[in-house]
Amino acid sequence: MSEAAATVWAVELIDFGKNYSADWRGRSAPAVDSLTLRLEPGQVLGLLGPNGSGKSTTLKAMGGLLRPSRGRCLIFGHPAGSDRARSLVGYLQELPQFPTHLTGREFLRFCGGLSSMDEKIIATRSAEVLEWSGLAAAADLRVSSYSKGMLQRLGLAQAILHDPPLVLLDEPASGLDPAGRLALNRLIRDLSVRGKTVIFSSHLLAQTEQLCDRLAILGRGRILVEGTPAELLGEDRRQIPQPSRLEELYLEKLEQYA
Amino acid sequence: MRDPGRNTIEASLRRVRLIAGNTLGEALRLRLTLLLALIGAGLVIGALGLREFNFGNAELKFIGDFGLGAVGGFGTLLAALATAQLFFSEIQGRAAYCILTRPVRRWEYIWGKFCGIAALLALFTAVLGALIATLLIWRGAQLGTTTASLSIFLCACAVQWLKLTLIAGMTLLVCSYSGSALFASCAGLILAVIAHVRPFLTDSGPMTWLRIWPNLSLFDAEAILASVRPPTAAVLWGMVGYWAVYVAVFGSIASYAFKRREF
Repeated sequence: MSEAAATVWAVELIDFGKNYSADWRGRSAPAVDSLTLRLEPGQVLGLLGPNGSGKSTTLKAMGGLLRPSRGRCLIFGHPAGSDRARSLVGYLQELPQFPTHLTGREFLRFCGGLSSMDEKIIATRSAEVLEWSGLAAAADLRVSSYSKGMLQRLGLAQAILHDPPLVLLDEPASGLDPAGRLALNRLIRDLSVRGKTVIFSSHLLAQTEQLCDRLAILGRGRILVEGTPAELLGEDRRQIPQPSRLEELYLEKLEQYA
Repeated sequence: MRDPGRNTIEASLRRVRLIAGNTLGEALRLRLTLLLALIGAGLVIGALGLREFNFGNAELKFIGDFGLGAVGGFGTLLAALATAQLFFSEIQGRAAYCILTRPVRRWEYIWGKFCGIAALLALFTAVLGALIATLLIWRGAQLGTTTASLSIFLCACAVQWLKLTLIAGMTLLVCSYSGSALFASCAGLILAVIAHVRPFLTDSGPMTWLRIWPNLSLFDAEAILASVRPPTAAVLWGMVGYWAVYVAVFGSIASYAFKRREF
């Protein structure tokens, strides 16, 4: 058996296509067309592309929220959407909203329970991810009082709560302030170092270029170009994006105020 | 990190319980719930003022009938509207995504929602039922007459709850494949009306096929309250069995439709 055949890909899309019904006559429009992509465990993939290019559809298919119209979508060798595949995935939706009657901590407890985590582990792990996401101080406030950025942070916290080997983030930087974006960059790099596979969509080109092992640019549901930054740009610029001078000033002033 | 027994019945029941608890928590914060409960309570208390219009019935019987009618009427509205609102608020707000991308089976989600709404309806029936019982006891003491026994009253409330949860099941069935809360609410209410008047529709003629639809007039709480003795165990278990069959059918079809649903 060849080495390639023996590889268990973290994500494997083979000729993946998804159509959405467009009108009452049942005609459908392709949102994603013949997408083939393989990602090794521990890699970070950035999905770029304009609105409507199929980024969210692809991430939803990996998360099991929709079924492929054509082709296959496998998560660590398991069909996306199967119980096994979903137990291996952490997912953050775009512009997340969560039950407003719960506090941040209660919401994480709810999510942990759904992932069949032990109560004691939920408590420990919740404290960790709340600390990481900068929500520790607001953990016992109701979600209804959270700002857009805080909801995004809570979304990130729930996505990694159960320590999944694959993390899918749909526009994770939207709604985050500069400090939140820097924390997000550190998290993605940290997850990669710990062997987790991360796939995220973004419109922030510079951030994506610096964070990713692989990049894919989508347009009209097709991959226009895909590869490592070195292959695509001729140089490896992978690093944790550093704050600009303005961001440094911003963070410094915030720290002083705090 | 994860419980190795996550695919056991016990793990499934835990997820159903969590979703039910979350649904109940959300339902209790709905303005709709508060509004309907307050109007229902107002109407129950208002029965005292309307007792002159008792059409020759004994006053206590009138208060009981009127109160249980308010529970049935507003409970029906609550069952249809709250079910649709709770189902769609989570889907349209995308909160359902972080539930359904976890190893939660679609049937667990549907049954969790149903159990949460059933708990809400139990609370609604219990609160208004307690209010009616208080009024009956208080007014009975004033008039120096005896009221229906507690067991009869509890049976009437339980039967009312069975009816309301069946309406919630019908609405959940519509929700599982429909695209809007408005459509699901309206359809749920229409289906509830059909289930109430079914005996009149299915006597003869082209509507006889509606016999497959549940007959809610079997759940006659007012008739139970009017009776001298509580219904026999056979009658009660018959009702529970009838209810269980329809709830199981509605839940199974809703689970199947929801399993095929994409987001």
